[in-house]
Amino acid sequence: MSFIHLNVASGYSLKYGTTQPSDLVQRAAEFEMPALALTDRDGLAGAIRFTQSCVDYGIAPIIGVNCAIAIKDINGGDSKGRITLLAHSDGGWRSLCRLMTSLTMTSETRIPVLTLDFLKQFSQYSTNVYAMHGPESPISSAIQNHRFDQALSIFNQTRDLFASNAIECVSHLVAGRGPRSTEHAARSLIFARDNDLDAVITNAVRMKDRTDGPVADVLDCVRQLVPLHDRHIERRNAEGFLKSSDEMISLAAEIARAAGERTPRALLKTTREWAERSLLSPQRDIGLGAAHLPEPHVVGVNTAQEMRTLLRARSEAGINWRYSSSDQISKARARLDDELATVATLGYESYFLTVADISDMARDAGIRVAARGSGAGSLICHLLGISGVDPMQHGLLMERFCSPLRRALPDIDIDVESARRLEIYDMVFKRYGDSDWSAPNNQSRCAVVAMVDTYRARHAIRDAGAALGLPGMEIDMLAKSMPHVRARNIAATLESLPELRRMNTSAPLMAATIDMAQRLDGLPRHLAMHPCAIVLSDGGFLDRAPLMSSAGGYPMVAFDKDDVEAVGLLKLDVLGVRMQSTIAYSMKEIERVHKEVVDIDTVPLDDAATYELIQSTRTLGIFQVESPGQRELVGKLAPKTFTDLIIDISLFRPGPVKSDMITPFLKARHGWSPAQIIHPDLYEILAHTEGVVVFHEQVIQIIATMTGVSLATADEKRRALGYKVGQQEVCDWFFPAATAKGYELPIINEIWDVLRAFASFGFCKAHAAAFALPTYQSAWLKTHYPAAFLAGVLTHDPGMYPKRLIVDEARQMGITIAPLDVNASDSVYRVEDHGNAIRIALSTVSGISDTEVQSIIAGRPYIDLNDFVRRSGASTPVTESMILTGAFDALHVDVNRRDLLLHLSDLQKSPSAAVSGAQMNLGFEPPALISSGLPAMTAAESVKYEVDRLGIDMSRHMIEFYGEFLNAIGAVRSSDLLKQRSQSSVLVAGIKVAMQTPPVRSGKRVIFLTLDDGYGCSDSTFFTDVQSEYANVLYSTSLLLVRGVTRRTGARGISIRATGAWDLRAAYESWSAKQSTLAI
Amino acid sequence: MSASQVNSALDVTIDGATTPIEFTYKGKRFRIHAVLSRWCEAGGWWNRISDGKYRPDDQARALWRVEAAPIGALTTFELERDELTGKWIIRNV
Repeated sequence: MSFIHLNVASGYSLKYGTTQPSDLVQRAAEFEMPALALTDRDGLAGAIRFTQSCVDYGIAPIIGVNCAIAIKDINGGDSKGRITLLAHSDGGWRSLCRLMTSLTMTSETRIPVLTLDFLKQFSQYSTNVYAMHGPESPISSAIQNHRFDQALSIFNQTRDLFASNAIECVSHLVAGRGPRSTEHAARSLIFARDNDLDAVITNAVRMKDRTDGPVADVLDCVRQLVPLHDRHIERRNAEGFLKSSDEMISLAAEIARAAGERTPRALLKTTREWAERSLLSPQRDIGLGAAHLPEPHVVGVNTAQEMRTLLRARSEAGINWRYSSSDQISKARARLDDELATVATLGYESYFLTVADISDMARDAGIRVAARGSGAGSLICHLLGISGVDPMQHGLLMERFCSPLRRALPDIDIDVESARRLEIYDMVFKRYGDSDWSAPNNQSRCAVVAMVDTYRARHAIRDAGAALGLPGMEIDMLAKSMPHVRARNIAATLESLPELRRMNTSAPLMAATIDMAQRLDGLPRHLAMHPCAIVLSDGGFLDRAPLMSSAGGYPMVAFDKDDVEAVGLLKLDVLGVRMQSTIAYSMKEIERVHKEVVDIDTVPLDDAATYELIQSTRTLGIFQVESPGQRELVGKLAPKTFTDLIIDISLFRPGPVKSDMITPFLKARHGWSPAQIIHPDLYEILAHTEGVVVFHEQVIQIIATMTGVSLATADEKRRALGYKVGQQEVCDWFFPAATAKGYELPIINEIWDVLRAFASFGFCKAHAAAFALPTYQSAWLKTHYPAAFLAGVLTHDPGMYPKRLIVDEARQMGITIAPLDVNASDSVYRVEDHGNAIRIALSTVSGISDTEVQSIIAGRPYIDLNDFVRRSGASTPVTESMILTGAFDALHVDVNRRDLLLHLSDLQKSPSAAVSGAQMNLGFEPPALISSGLPAMTAAESVKYEVDRLGIDMSRHMIEFYGEFLNAIGAVRSSDLLKQRSQSSVLVAGIKVAMQTPPVRSGKRVIFLTLDDGYGCSDSTFFTDVQSEYANVLYSTSLLLVRGVTRRTGARGISIRATGAWDLRAAYESWSAKQSTLAI
Repeated sequence: MSASQVNSALDVTIDGATTPIEFTYKGKRFRIHAVLSRWCEAGGWWNRISDGKYRPDDQARALWRVEAAPIGALTTFELERDELTGKWIIRNV
């Protein structure tokens, strides 16, 4: 007979269980057990992956939870402990989810503890689950104290609150008579027999093998934040592992014998009955593979049929809004019919309508929304206003997004203004959620999604090291040295890092730490909130998934994004995109300053001036194309159309770079070698990318054209190409299918090679097109309203560059940088002087708080420094920083900044400083502000303070001070680099603005360095041969002088192959030392 | 024999699982007449790190207190089996 374990904790018993659910299931299957329970501590987060593993291994899942309980004992004292609840086969999963949701959502401490009051309040759920009173239960404590009367009284308090109760007999063969000893298990059995209660045997499993013991100990200590010591660890031996049926049966025999029973038959029989009553169906009970979308009434209609009609009506209304020519309209109608038919087959109407509602809600609140991902391939998304890109014009395919052949729910992701993302969450929860968690049977249709934070190298080292008592310094050094690798790869990583070779990793404690850290690999340590996912479902949502409260206060489903998808919950990703905030801000500034309303979403996509700006590679601040690598690529590619932008974005990724898709494309693009289109039938598909396969959509179309299958089938084939086995299957199918369509073998061979090579690297064109839109929009704004746009970039910081570089960019575009001014600077960067100036924002001052910014603004105008000190609420360091960076220069033209600093210190000492408000004039005169005769700051000093206190060299560029030196040594300004011949030797200088080591074809490390010298940026490349000598200075210094050889990369592109790099300051100092020597 | 003294128990015969039945001690063959109690031990592995005796498997041990006799006089023994290596020792007599 095989045994079924009813009490099993996996790693989802956070910092308690040592094993992944799938490993436990695999072991149970090896033991030929027909079922296995998962009863994790405090939550159900592992339930879905456990169920999926059970399906994979062909055994039945049983799911429960091990939960803390606090009840009054016979003496009126608190009796605390843990009991295990099991979902039974008849709707128990639903009740268990509901129970756990109610428990965590109504708990004030976020630590779920069952109480009698709670169990009575939510008895409709609790009376639908089973309870097992095991070695940690209050009953067990009473039995241990030889108080059967007390045990019975506790039992009687809870017996009616659960569907069934059992006494759980556990023996870990611990010495003595306490819980987990055979003696205690036997006494528990006797207690059950005496009172005619069910008794079951479990092994209270928390490990897969005996050898997992040390992992359990480390987790015990990590959970309690204590070092390893006997009194801190739970286990006394290594018996709490998943034992085989034979081991469990002989254990049962031992317990039964100790309890005076001749055979364990009764104990095993009851255990078996309990297991059989708790078997769950992965599909019927847990809901694997189902789909649960919001009901018709949520979108305002009564039936599924009406929902279909509503989706059609709203889409058709969109046709007249999006298209004008009759040709376009009729094409759109035909495509819409196809798409609607697909949606109807899948029953996803409410999905589209719900997402459309959410994006409408956002727009009505004035929040910018854009679709991202394959959803942009759907015409319906375009017509409903979810996506701004026209899928027909750009050859985007619905099939890439959603097809009847694919069972997975399609993903629509929306990008929104980062600054207002949570407003959208609030609107969604207001509309689809519920907040009355104390009412049983409440309904909610939405939740944020959890993200399982698992042990990776760094945390594993920190936690294992702390438990083992490794000194903090050594923990720190080891952890910080780790790149973000899996914990199991720590030892291998250590070997590959030359800088760590001097650490003595073979010292016993260090070696043990590394060993234990590796064994924590992949264990969940925390449930965090997914950064952007929301699930939307129907009224039965709370019956299918447990919720908890996220750190941000939103109801959060305890499943991660894969689990959520597995149980058919619709997921919507709401991503905060700073560029969308930037664009929104720019439009508001344009309206405020120029009294013009620009609707960026209706601007035509063919503005020549915009493409000229992009081609010029002056793309700082523009979405997606501002990085050094992208600037080089746009320089080579010279985008002239929106399609070119889509191609550019698709090419700039590791795949295409590694497979060298860029070179043939550029050669054909510039007419250096003709486009190679393998067969005329494919001309239409490949012409716009010069014969190179760049997009998933092209792969789909090639397969469909060559074999005659539908686009939906072709997409399935494309997906199969992504993995080895699938590729062989597609190959076996493709050759005969294409032959049957009349293609010659050499052609088929050639195309197959292309498909195989590029299928895995290709990019989803819909995704690239969705990204290209904000790229174009930001470029358009930079072209036509540079001040408003750059003010937006400075305010919302969407890109990779520091503010000082953006300020410099503005200066080079002829925009005046208006200095910080106590009466003129706002909390954000404002456009002034009819679009000719940008005013530095108060928020730039280092150390200033939001409250200070607000109170400074509220107190304006200030008549002088004294007035400011009295009323603004700004702290002294902030006031000092403002004086040093010239914020009071306009108020005090007669004195200099040093005088003002002295005055500030006088004001602080004066008794008037202590008296606030209107009373101050009574008797106290503020100290007078007079010029002290101190010299004004030099320009260099001013810039130094600006950089220190604002992070921006506001009055002039830092490099200017080295001008004489740079002229003397013949350094080239970045704006003059294009005038240099290819292969000429040059010196460039500047401030480091970006340094990247991106993926390159050869796989060797290449360092790309971008320097800003006040005339623009120069890009240098350091290959392996020069890295050893100069990498140190590159990483440690920000003002650099670089020597190298130029290389033309296109009409507007030039880059430098570096041969050396030096600290600019040091070079300057040794030069000026020599100068003065010469002068003497 | 004191607790600190341990002797290898030779040629331990077991029943179907791991319960000992017979063993050789000081050249004599003993037969186990009764298992008085049995329990398992493990842990404390972290105390053995600094002296380099740390074993990541934690040295799980199963123990039997038994009555056994060569011929005639019954003696109490404590037998220990290392769960990883299957090696037996006599811990207490």
